[in-house]
Amino acid sequence: MMALDISQNKHADVSMDEKNRLFEEVKADERWSHVLYGCYECGICVAACPSARFYDFSPRLIAQAVSREDTDLIYTLMSDSIWDCSQCFSCDRCPRQNSPGQVITIMREVAVKNGLRTAKEALQGYGRIIYKIMLTGTQVSPDMLQPDAFPDWGTHVYEIAENLDDWRKALPPETLHTTETSWTIDDKTIIELYLIWHMTGVMDLISGVDEGLYDIIVDVMEERLEEAGYDDVTFD
Amino acid sequence: MAHEKVNGCVILKDLYYNVDNNTWVRIIDDSTVAVGMTDVAQNLAGPLLHAKTKKVGTGRKLGKPIATVESGKYVGPVKSPVTGEITKINDALSSDAGLINKSPYNNGWIVEMKTDDLSADLATMVSGDDAVAAYKEKIERDNIQACEQIEGADTYD
Repeated sequence: MMALDISQNKHADVSMDEKNRLFEEVKADERWSHVLYGCYECGICVAACPSARFYDFSPRLIAQAVSREDTDLIYTLMSDSIWDCSQCFSCDRCPRQNSPGQVITIMREVAVKNGLRTAKEALQGYGRIIYKIMLTGTQVSPDMLQPDAFPDWGTHVYEIAENLDDWRKALPPETLHTTETSWTIDDKTIIELYLIWHMTGVMDLISGVDEGLYDIIVDVMEERLEEAGYDDVTFD
Repeated sequence: MAHEKVNGCVILKDLYYNVDNNTWVRIIDDSTVAVGMTDVAQNLAGPLLHAKTKKVGTGRKLGKPIATVESGKYVGPVKSPVTGEITKINDALSSDAGLINKSPYNNGWIVEMKTDDLSADLATMVSGDDAVAAYKEKIERDNIQACEQIEGADTYD
C-alpha cells in the first residue's frame, strides 16, 4: 500500500493563488452547501469506508481539510487521495449529515475540468470504459475480460476470453449475444446519446483530460450523426 | 533490413518514425506511404482486440487519428504521422487485430496514405541511428517495459 504523503507544501510548484482558486471553484458548486456541515471527528465514515481498508485513504481527512479550508492540504488530496474513493457513499451515515463522498465528487469534477495532471493519470486506466460509455452508452463490455486485463478473475479467464462469443450466445436473451457492448444498442438510442453529449458540452471535459481519446470519440460521433442527417452537429 | 533492439523493442532503421506518436512510415513512392504502429506502441497497448481504421478517402492532418485500437483495458488513437488521404486500409486487421502485435512492421501495417507534402512530413520524423537514439531516450524517460519479442524479430537482417 502506498502511504499518503501529506507533508506541507508538497506541491510547492503550484502557487497558493492557484490552490485557493481551485478550492473556491469547489465551494462555488451548487451542491456544496448540502454536503458539509462540520465534523465531530467520530470516525464513523472511516469505519464504514471500504477504500480505507485497502488504501491509505480517509474520508475524515477529506472532511476535516475542507472544513478547515486548508487549501494546501486540499490540493494534495485533490492530486492523490480523492482517486482512492470508490464513490459508494457508505460515508453518508455521518451523524452530522456530511457526505465526504459527495465532497470528493465535486473535487474530482474540478480536478477534471481544470485538467490537473494527476486527474489525467488517475483516469488513464479508464480510457476504454470512457470510450464505451460515450460511444455506446454501456460501460463494461464482455471483451474486457482478458487475461492481461483481469488476471484476478482466475485461471479460467483464459477459457472465457477464448470462447467469449460462445459463452455470450449461451445466454437466453438475444440482446446479450454481444461481446463489444454489454447488450445490443438501438441506432436511435445511439444518436440520442450523441445529441445529449453535444448539447451538454460534456466532451469538453474529455478533451481536457485526454485529447487522443477525445479525437477518436468525436470522429465516430460526427460520422454517425452525419449518416443520421445531423450534418450540422460538430464538436469543434 | 537493418534493425536494432532497444530494451527488446525492434526498431527498423530504414523506416521513418514519429516518436511522440509512436508510428512508423515506409515510403512506397514519392508521395505514398504505408503507416503502422511501432513495436513499442503495440507493447504498450497490450494484446489488441480491435483495430478500426478510418475509411479509404478520409483526409487526415498530421496528428489526427487514422485508426482506433483497443485491448482489454486500453483504447487509443493511431495518430497520422503525415498529412494526406487514406488510399488503402489493411482489411486483415478487422478480423485479427493481433497482427499488429505479432508483426507491427509487416503484416500489421494499418493504412496507406497519399501525402500532400511528403518531404515536409519526413522533416518531422527520425530514421536510422537517430531513430534508435530517440527510442532509447523515450524508453528510458517513460520507463517503458521490455518488449516481448515479435514474430520474426531476429530475421529482419
